[in-house]
Amino acid sequence: MTDARTRTSAPPRAEGQAPPATSPPPPTDAPQRSAAAGPLAAATAFLRAAREGLESGVGLADALARGSTAAGTSPGQEARSLRRLAGNYDEDDWGFDEEYVAAVRPLFDFMYDGWWRVETTGVENVPARGRALMVANHAGILPWDATMIAAALLREHPEPRHARFLVLNWAFQLPWVSAFMRKVGGVAASPYNAERLLREDHLVAVFPEGVKGAGKDFADRYRLQRFGRGGFVEVALRTGAPIIPVAVVGSEETYPKLGDAKPLARLTGAPYFPVTPTFPLLGPLGVVPLPSKWRIEFCDPIDISQHGPDAVDDRSLVFEITEHVRETIQQRVYANLVTRGSAFF
Amino acid sequence: MAGRRVLVTGIGSHLGCELAARLEADPAYEYVAGLDTRPPPRALERTDFIEADIRSPVISKLIPATEVDTVVHNQIVRRPGAAGLSPQQAHDVNVVGSLQLLSACERTETVRTIVIRGSAGIYGAEPAAPQFFTEEMTKLYAPRTRFQRDVAEIENYFETYSRRRPQVTCMMLRYQPSIGPSVDSQITRYLSLPVLPTYLGFDPRLQFIHERDGLDALVASVRNPVRGAVNVAAPGTIGLTRIVRLSGKLTLPLLPSAFAPVVGTASRAGLASLSPDFERLLRYGRGVDVTRLTEEVGFEPAFTARAAVEDYVETLAGRRVVPSPRHAVTGSGSPR
Repeated sequence: MTDARTRTSAPPRAEGQAPPATSPPPPTDAPQRSAAAGPLAAATAFLRAAREGLESGVGLADALARGSTAAGTSPGQEARSLRRLAGNYDEDDWGFDEEYVAAVRPLFDFMYDGWWRVETTGVENVPARGRALMVANHAGILPWDATMIAAALLREHPEPRHARFLVLNWAFQLPWVSAFMRKVGGVAASPYNAERLLREDHLVAVFPEGVKGAGKDFADRYRLQRFGRGGFVEVALRTGAPIIPVAVVGSEETYPKLGDAKPLARLTGAPYFPVTPTFPLLGPLGVVPLPSKWRIEFCDPIDISQHGPDAVDDRSLVFEITEHVRETIQQRVYANLVTRGSAFF
Repeated sequence: MAGRRVLVTGIGSHLGCELAARLEADPAYEYVAGLDTRPPPRALERTDFIEADIRSPVISKLIPATEVDTVVHNQIVRRPGAAGLSPQQAHDVNVVGSLQLLSACERTETVRTIVIRGSAGIYGAEPAAPQFFTEEMTKLYAPRTRFQRDVAEIENYFETYSRRRPQVTCMMLRYQPSIGPSVDSQITRYLSLPVLPTYLGFDPRLQFIHERDGLDALVASVRNPVRGAVNVAAPGTIGLTRIVRLSGKLTLPLLPSAFAPVVGTASRAGLASLSPDFERLLRYGRGVDVTRLTEEVGFEPAFTARAAVEDYVETLAGRRVVPSPRHAVTGSGSPR
C-alpha cells in the first residue's frame, strides 16, 4: 500500500541532487561499486546505458532496464546488458527480478547510508527463512520507507533476505511504475496475493495505513492512522505467519506535506497531490527528499498461529490483534523518536 | 461394459481434430463423433463427421441419435476473424451455439458428462488483480469486453443446466491463450507480426498453455471429468518484455491513448487485428492458479509458461532468415 509515482525516475533524480556535493560526473569509464562514493557514478552509468539503449532503438522501457542493469556494475557489464536484451534473465512468477534489484541497489544503499543515515535495530527478529508478515507505519508521500526496510534487511540481516511489498493498486495502472514495482518485489495490495506469497514462504511487508498514512499532513506526523479493516491479521491467521511490527522514524520529515491540491489529484487520478516546502515550487527538484535522520526498528514477532485459520471469522479477535499491532508500532515509533533526538542531525 | 461414446464440437479446428484422433485411437471409446460446418483438417480413422451448424436447431435432432454419453464443447471462438467469422457471427456461435448444444443435450438422455473448453478471459485483465486467479474469482471485476460477457453468459447457461440435471457432470475448462507452432491464436499471431505494438512502460505478466498441454489437458478432462470450473494454464507467468526479447522482435511502444488508434488502423489495413481482450492482456496481463487442474483432474502440464514461450520461439527461430540477437549472443549456450 505504497504510492510510488516517481520511484522509477528516482535514479536520475538522485543524480540531480548529488552534483552540489561532489565533483562533476566522471567520464564514461567503469563506475565504482562502493555505495558511498558510487551514487553519482551509478546514476551516470544508468543514464549512459539508458541513452545507449535508446539510440540502438530498443524502446524506453528496455533502455531504462538496460540502464539499471548497467548501473553499479563494472566488469561484464556489457555482456550482462546484452544477455538481458536477449531475454536471458530470471524473473519469478510475480515478476521479481533479483538482478534488477542488485542493479538499482547502489541508489538505495546511498540513501540508506549517506542521505538518511539509517540506524536499524531488532533485525534479528526477522526470520531468515519461512513466512512472516511485516507490518509497518507508512509516511512520506513516496514509499521510500518500503525501500529502506528492504535495504535494512539486505544490509543488516545476518542472512540477507528480499522482502515482497503490497503496493497501492493505483501504481499498477501507471506506466513504468507498474513494471518497476513488480521487478523490485511489489505486488498489488490484494489479500489473495498476500496469502499466496505467505504460503510460498515469502517475507511480506504491508502498510495497513495505506494512502491515509503516506498522504497525511505534516502536522499529523507519527500519529498512526486507522489500520484498515484488519485484513492483514486475517491473512496472517489464515497462513499462520508471525506478524513482525516495524516502526519507521524519519520518513515523515522527507516531504513535509503542508497541503493537498485536491483538484490536481482528481485530474491525475492520484490519491493525493502533495504541496511541500519544495514541491511543486522547485519543480522536479522538489522530489528530492529532505535528509532527515532515520531509525527502523523490527519489533518482536507476534505469533498468532495458536488461534488457527478459523479465527478469521472472529471479528473481535481480529480487531483486538489489529489494535495490538497498531499500539505496538505507535509506542515504538514514539520511543525511537525520543532516541533519535533532532530530526535532521 | 460398453465403451464410451463421445461427441466433439468444433472438430474443424486443430484442437478438435487432434482430440478426436486421440480418442479414436483409444479402444475405451467405442464411438467418436465430430460436429462442425468445416471438415476436420486431416483425415480421421473412425470418427463420424456430422456436418451441421451448431447455431441451428437441427442439432437437437442429430445429437440424440448418436446416443453419446460425453459431449466436448470445443466451439468457442476466441479470436476476431477466426474461420472468417465477423464479431457478430462469433458472438452467435459462442452464445447461441452453446444454447443450442445445451438444448440438444437436454434431449439426449444418455449424456452424463459435458466438458466445455471455455476461456480464462472471464477473469478479464485488471491492473491490480490477484496475480493468480482461482476458480471462484470470476465476480471480482465487472466484465469489460464483449468476449468476456459472452464467456460469462456461456458459463451461466452451463451452470444452470448442471443445477437442473444433477446426474450430468459439467466441467468448465478455463483456458489461457494457447501457444505453439500449429495453433492460430492471438498470441501466435501477435508474435508473428514484424513489429510488436506494446504499451509504453507496461510489462504485463502473461500466462499461456502450450498446444500439446492444451490437448493433453482436454484428453485428461474427458477421462476424468470433475464438476465445476477448472483453470487450464501452464504453471507460472512470463513478462511480455521477456517474451519480446526472446523472440528477438522489435517493439513499437505506444502511449495507452495511441494504442487503440494505431492498432485499429493496422487492423483496417489488414496488417494485424487484436481483440479488445488481448489489448487489455498486453497492458495488464493475467495469471491463473492451476491447483485444481493438477490435484483434482490429475493433469500436470509439461511446459511452464516460460518453457512454452521458449519452445514456440525456438520454432519461430527455425524459420527465421535473420538470426535473432538471442542466438547471436548466447551462441550455443542454452537459456537459463
